[in-house]
Amino acid sequence: MTQSPTLSRRAASAPTPPRKSRRRGADTRAGYTFLLPWLLGFIALTVGPMISSLYLSFTNYNLFDAPKWIGFDNYATLFQDERFLQSVGVTMQYVVFGTPLKLAAALAIAMLLNSKRKGQGFYRSAFYAPSLIGASVSIAIVWKAMFGDSGPVDQGLSFFGINLGGWVGNPNMTMGMMILLTVWQFGAPMVIFLAGLKQIPTDLYEAASMDGAGPVRKFINITWPMLSPVIFFNLLMETIHAFQIFASAYIISNGEGGPAGSTLFYTLYLYLRGFSDFRMGYASAMAWLLVIVVGIITLIFFKTSKSWVHYSGDAK
Amino acid sequence: MIDRRKFLGTVALGTASAAFLAACGQSSSPAQTGSAENPVTITYTWWGNDDRAERTRKAIALFESKNPDVKVNGNFSDFAGYWQKRATEAAGGGLPDVMQWDLSYLRDYGQRNQLLDLGTVKINTDAFDKSLLPSGQIRGKTYGIPTSTNAFAVYYDPAKLSSLGIAEPDGSWNYKEFNAFLTEVGAKGNGTLFGGTDYTGIWWNFNIWLRQNNIEAFTDDGKLGFSKDDLKKWWNLTADLRGTAAIVGEDKATQLLPKSPFGSNVTATEVTWDNFMAGYLADSGAKELKLVPVPSDDPDNLGLFLKPSMLMVASAKTKNKDAAARFIDFMVNDPEVGQIFKTSRGVPASKTQRDGTTFEGTDKLVVDYEKSIEKYLKDAPEPPIVGFGTLESTFKRVTQDLNYGKLTVDGAADAWFKEAEDLIKQNA
Repeated sequence: MTQSPTLSRRAASAPTPPRKSRRRGADTRAGYTFLLPWLLGFIALTVGPMISSLYLSFTNYNLFDAPKWIGFDNYATLFQDERFLQSVGVTMQYVVFGTPLKLAAALAIAMLLNSKRKGQGFYRSAFYAPSLIGASVSIAIVWKAMFGDSGPVDQGLSFFGINLGGWVGNPNMTMGMMILLTVWQFGAPMVIFLAGLKQIPTDLYEAASMDGAGPVRKFINITWPMLSPVIFFNLLMETIHAFQIFASAYIISNGEGGPAGSTLFYTLYLYLRGFSDFRMGYASAMAWLLVIVVGIITLIFFKTSKSWVHYSGDAK
Repeated sequence: MIDRRKFLGTVALGTASAAFLAACGQSSSPAQTGSAENPVTITYTWWGNDDRAERTRKAIALFESKNPDVKVNGNFSDFAGYWQKRATEAAGGGLPDVMQWDLSYLRDYGQRNQLLDLGTVKINTDAFDKSLLPSGQIRGKTYGIPTSTNAFAVYYDPAKLSSLGIAEPDGSWNYKEFNAFLTEVGAKGNGTLFGGTDYTGIWWNFNIWLRQNNIEAFTDDGKLGFSKDDLKKWWNLTADLRGTAAIVGEDKATQLLPKSPFGSNVTATEVTWDNFMAGYLADSGAKELKLVPVPSDDPDNLGLFLKPSMLMVASAKTKNKDAAARFIDFMVNDPEVGQIFKTSRGVPASKTQRDGTTFEGTDKLVVDYEKSIEKYLKDAPEPPIVGFGTLESTFKRVTQDLNYGKLTVDGAADAWFKEAEDLIKQNA
């Protein structure tokens, strides 16, 4: 009730020339027209499937017959499913160890590439290249061959007297291999770190040098706080990304999550449940649980970020 | 300015909606019948290795030359990926027109109306053994036509055995003797040659053992016909062999994938289907491989049967029923197709194809093997229960865990039964 007078008053008090309004209307229409392809895609390919997946997560659905409503049964069964628990363990291991290592590598290389040296352009592209091709199927195949029995890695290590055998078939080694693979693909966060490093005013470092600060002190007191928004962004993106690992695990384990379930990542198990076992309702429940968990983790990150992320203009 | 924007807007809208309509709309040409100038295209998919791909391409080329009004688009993948692709396609309503099929998945798709009832089209089955056809039928409807038959066997490489100074087996052995044989190979193989793969990890081998003990795997009402104790007994057969040179380590076997340890010359024997001969020869480069019957504790009951090694099926939604039926008929009956595949799909199921094929060398070994076990053969099993594909892969996975030492026999049996009971309940 209070709104309509406000609206009419605003309309009355701010009369706009009709010509301009028509122009604006045309602008808006053009804007929406350009937006339309994306909007259609978003509704048809993202929102629609998400809603139907949410519905399916409460059903027993085998892809062929009509879904049967079973309430929260899928969610309840999940926690009695040993393979599900195993997949959670495998994925957590990967996220907890892989992500920080990858970010550390990205930051270290970004700092190396930030200094003015000859041929920096070449090095920057060279270090970025792996992440361009890294997500591709071919790289997973190459890694599988490299870490296989009597592959280059096995041969190289045995040259130093370390005989581990192939990593691919050894359940105790596959996680290490998967983490190495993700660390090696540090290009994307590295580029973002590089951009962040470029933004740090050099006079800060000059002033610190004057006061006699060494490289470690400069890193702790200047680089880290100045870079913290970028670190936060990278940490968030890479964590979410790590939860979604699929293609490399699928290729390396022949789509089975083996050996002995050591590469049974969450998304891989989800896929197997859906498409190998025809249990789409169960897979949908897993998908939604993942959305919720990633959402909670993101929330925690944002809450705790206040204590260590510094934005310029913050009164601190 | 405004006019240009309007113009741009209209163009953008037009392009977007055109793209959208193109994405949504079905292809509007019904193309039910083709001609030599304008052939209809059917898609065909199969699983297998390069050897089978080569033979299949030859067969397709032959079909196209005899049927200029039909074009066949073929593609293949390995067995594991094959079923995941089919599930995706079935969900989207786009199964290939004609498919190579496995008995394990016939009920899943047939019972759920994804496959064409081949009784409604023209396929000649006169030359088929009448006891074989029911394995492609569910509730009186024919969903699959067997291309060929296979039987379980023990493969061995005579050259490898003689280099180790071990006598060739004759196949009249019980499980204890078979285990002793594997152990001897492993001991003399000196770390480079292992006895075999853990034969208890193959569902069909377990099924044969059940038959040897006069137990049915599945009951008529879709339940399990054996007990947890039976399964434990089975997995305990190789309990002493796991982790020794008698059985190749699971880590090694995993690394060799997609080839088998036997195909990679890592083991001297392999217990599996007799139609793997061509594939094994191609993979291993061995001169000769031989076949003998599986072990049995009852010499009069080997539990063996002829199974359709592969079936040809068509999608229920195919738009080219006639072309699909002609292609299936050609693939199962044409003598020249038999000549192309020899025994690589198994021994041809149709008599016309069998008679039209000359079996020499290793192919003759496969045919002779099936002849030699004729007196032990019992009826082929009906298509197993819905969801059997999952049970079969769980069976393999659990045995792998057993070999990795991650599970005990009791734990493995519990794990498999839990999955099986859950699955039967799901599909009830």
